[in-house]
Amino acid sequence: MGNKKIKKDQLNTLFNELSKDCSVLVPTRSKGYIGFDLWDENNGDFIGWYKNTTIPLKANFFPKVEDMFRFNKGEGGYEIKEILPEEESQIIFGVRPCDARALKIIGTLFADTYKDPYFLKRRENAILIGLGCNEPCDTCFCASMGASPGESQDVDLLCTDMGDELLFETVSKKGEDLLSNMRGLSDSSDGDSSKAKELREAANNKIQRKIDTSNLKEKMRANFENREYWENVSMKCMSCGICTYVCPTCHCFDIHDENNKKDGLRVRNWDSCKFPLFTRMPMENPRHEKWRRVRQRYHHKFEYYDMNFGVIACTGCGRCIRECPVNVDVTQIITGIQSL
Amino acid sequence: MEGDNVYIPHVMKIEKVIQETGNIKTFHFNFKDQSQKDKFTFKSGQFAEYSIFGEGEATFCVSSSPTRMDHLEFSVMKAGKVTAAIHELQEGDEIGFRGPYGNWFPLDLLQGKNLVFVGGGIGLAPLRSLIWNVIDNRDSYGDVIVLYGARSPADLSFKYDLEAWDKGDAIDMYTTVDRGDDAWTGRVGLIPPVLEEIGPSAQDTVAITCGPPIMIKFTLQSLAKLGFTPEQIVTTLEMKMKCGIGKCGRCNIGNIYVCKDGPVFTYAQIQNFLSDEF
Repeated sequence: MGNKKIKKDQLNTLFNELSKDCSVLVPTRSKGYIGFDLWDENNGDFIGWYKNTTIPLKANFFPKVEDMFRFNKGEGGYEIKEILPEEESQIIFGVRPCDARALKIIGTLFADTYKDPYFLKRRENAILIGLGCNEPCDTCFCASMGASPGESQDVDLLCTDMGDELLFETVSKKGEDLLSNMRGLSDSSDGDSSKAKELREAANNKIQRKIDTSNLKEKMRANFENREYWENVSMKCMSCGICTYVCPTCHCFDIHDENNKKDGLRVRNWDSCKFPLFTRMPMENPRHEKWRRVRQRYHHKFEYYDMNFGVIACTGCGRCIRECPVNVDVTQIITGIQSL
Repeated sequence: MEGDNVYIPHVMKIEKVIQETGNIKTFHFNFKDQSQKDKFTFKSGQFAEYSIFGEGEATFCVSSSPTRMDHLEFSVMKAGKVTAAIHELQEGDEIGFRGPYGNWFPLDLLQGKNLVFVGGGIGLAPLRSLIWNVIDNRDSYGDVIVLYGARSPADLSFKYDLEAWDKGDAIDMYTTVDRGDDAWTGRVGLIPPVLEEIGPSAQDTVAITCGPPIMIKFTLQSLAKLGFTPEQIVTTLEMKMKCGIGKCGRCNIGNIYVCKDGPVFTYAQIQNFLSDEF
């Protein structure tokens, strides 16, 4: 099936149509940050200002806080009621290639050996419509991480911003089916495709930041015990954990109970390896010093995840660089290791 | 338990509470749902996530033997919020239980060998699962020695096991305390020197050890002196765990996740770990 395109001023009509059958989420500004939220006619203008979400796409599949089950103590003892995400299908529009790739990366972990039903159920019910970046941010380094700002194999449909129009290209079967059911689109030409290709190449060339991932695992392993290096690069870190919260691949979590012993909820929430309590045990804490926690985070992403799942758990979205209050920069840290 | 959601615990009933020491208790527990019990299997060395509803989950090994499935057991040292709540449990109370998780003691490697168990304090909990397992299949193993130590006579856990093993002829039982008291007529001395004094041969032998880190450290040195190679030493590690299934991200030592890749490792494996963070 060929590609399609739509005039940008027709997008709201398209979202309106799609909303009749399922929920449509688009980049939305609310409460001071940008995330994916339900489309309505008032938030359909994102294409003008949207660079990327503040909170990564992972939050729509692995929320900051989620209920896992309810327990209730009745006369016959405890009853447990599983709380699974709703079965409703979702279209998420405007997904950046870095975040789509990140979702695939953490999806591997959530599906590994013991299936995580909360993440997987949401993933199964979601259709991702990517939106390539023509103007990457100066913090982006996706091109070094096996990705490209304008391209993605990890979405169902990929859009390219062509000025007045959006080009829709099919990536998956799910996307193809959706595209064939979307109304108000017109067929695109070969000229459109070559224009999109040019835009992608141009976007790729705009990426300024780079890291070198060749032999990185080995290099990191060789310098694991280089305490001086890790102490230096972690000196200004405040252990605030924002890098882990805005990271599209950070997936560490805590599980706890709310309410009381009779009637309550088991809840999962994001946790962070930057917090000293994360690994604290009654008698000891293997990562009680800050430099050990900082080292853990980078080793986890760039070495352990690669060893265990064959892919580096960083997509170069640059959020940690943008949001860090003391300007810790992952690209400097990795470049520093490469130059040791 | 609904569907196959790995995070949903079984509801279990506490059948018996044993006060082992001032801060250690052992709990006998059983499935509330017989059909779940019939399906359940585990192996010595595996652990589970136990919940006190309203307080949260904590990780402990199953300390009973899979050869004795009448009920299950776990032992807990009171140390934090959840363990304090566990210590409040009475007979008839209900807990959540999900598992078993992790790997197990390598029975293939142990079969036909002489075994030396070295346990300290509550570290006997995972070992006793295997010790009873070995006793129940006694013909499959060579000589079996158990050396158990605690700080004082009052700190000895599982006294009923120690007595049973001492009386029986299945194993050579040695008990020691760091410091005795007026009533103590047994052995006094730290585990590593006592182990060297007993002097088990390393020939065709595997040592299985668990206890506080400082004990493990010196026990490994003593075993080395006795000629045990790192491949002949098996231990079980403890790290902060939460999910038990390799996802929540806290129990790693380098790229090894103790909950999924362990908790049982040979000393040879541990020496190859990429990290000193344990």
